[in-house]
Amino acid sequence: MNDILIMILSTLGAIFILIASFGVFKMPDFYSRLSVTIKAATLGIGCILIAAVLYFSDFSVTTKAIAIMFFLLITSPVAGFLISKVAYMTGTKLWKHSLMDELKDDLEKESNKQSKTEKEN
Amino acid sequence: MLQNFLLNILLTFVWVALTGQLDYANFLFGYTMGFFILWMVNRSIRANTEYFYRVPKIFAFIFLFFYDLLKANFEVMKDVVTPNYNMKPGIVKYEMDAKTDFEITMLANMIALTPGTVVIDLSKDKKFMYIHVMYLTNKEEFKITLSNRIERKLLEILR
Amino acid sequence: MTVEDYIAYVVMPIICLAVFFIILRFIKGPQVVDRVVALDLLITVGVAFITLFSIVVNNPMFLEEAMIMALIAFLSTVAFSYYIFKRKRDE
Repeated sequence: MNDILIMILSTLGAIFILIASFGVFKMPDFYSRLSVTIKAATLGIGCILIAAVLYFSDFSVTTKAIAIMFFLLITSPVAGFLISKVAYMTGTKLWKHSLMDELKDDLEKESNKQSKTEKEN
Repeated sequence: MLQNFLLNILLTFVWVALTGQLDYANFLFGYTMGFFILWMVNRSIRANTEYFYRVPKIFAFIFLFFYDLLKANFEVMKDVVTPNYNMKPGIVKYEMDAKTDFEITMLANMIALTPGTVVIDLSKDKKFMYIHVMYLTNKEEFKITLSNRIERKLLEILR
Repeated sequence: MTVEDYIAYVVMPIICLAVFFIILRFIKGPQVVDRVVALDLLITVGVAFITLFSIVVNNPMFLEEAMIMALIAFLSTVAFSYYIFKRKRDE
């Protein structure tokens, strides 16, 4: 019973990771690639860690698994936020079928205001 | 609030020390029992009951968050596996209710962990957040669900 | 069929296929930021691979490596994004 549960969980986690990596390969633009990757991989690693906890069924292993999950949940959004901001600042384009871009309008407004004040000075 | 939490932890350790079984199930059992005992003792004092409503809210929020995570993951998965794209991406400007830096950080973490949404930038006065959304059927509807489902519940816990 | 055999012959090849796709994106990526995201995902998949390996050899010692990798995985992304941002500003 325990063995079957471990098999199912590890397979599920591997499939989540496979889908995340296939998403990285397939998606057309940078931002959708970023939003596919980080979380699907986190979910897959969660499944595999639960499988490891069930396999060893030990106090120290459970603590380590919780620590790994905690570190990943805390750090991966920070990395995603930083890299998406830098990508936007360095001029990565959105997908060609995108609906709206409200950040671009605001940045243009701000730069217009700045150039106006520079002219007045 | 803090006093009740420390008492609860103390009761948990007393339970674990008395039973002598050092595993997670025993810790959880001791914590739950201490929680209910403290609740019963403190029920008559009105000012002290805030802690006992906050803890269930935190657990409800965690469960809701994992449900959202799974649901959004399957949505993205469908788009990855099928050959054509049916996504409608766009960057939305969202006005936050969160004020302090800690609240903004937690909100950005929550938004980043649900698939399909990525926080791109904050405005300089820390009032607006620019979010890249993958499935943008209706802008107003997206803003309302975000503020009702995630932000209001998060702020209820943190404040 | 034991759990160790199942993981070694069924689950680990799936992870290897995932690594193959990520490396394709790493080679192809039109910009530097695409490559940085691929590298970040590669380290995250490495954590999963180490966990599976610790099940196969039946030794929980390897989980410590996975913990350290999960801790420092995001540092490379932060360093790369800082570098790209600085290079852009200096131009």
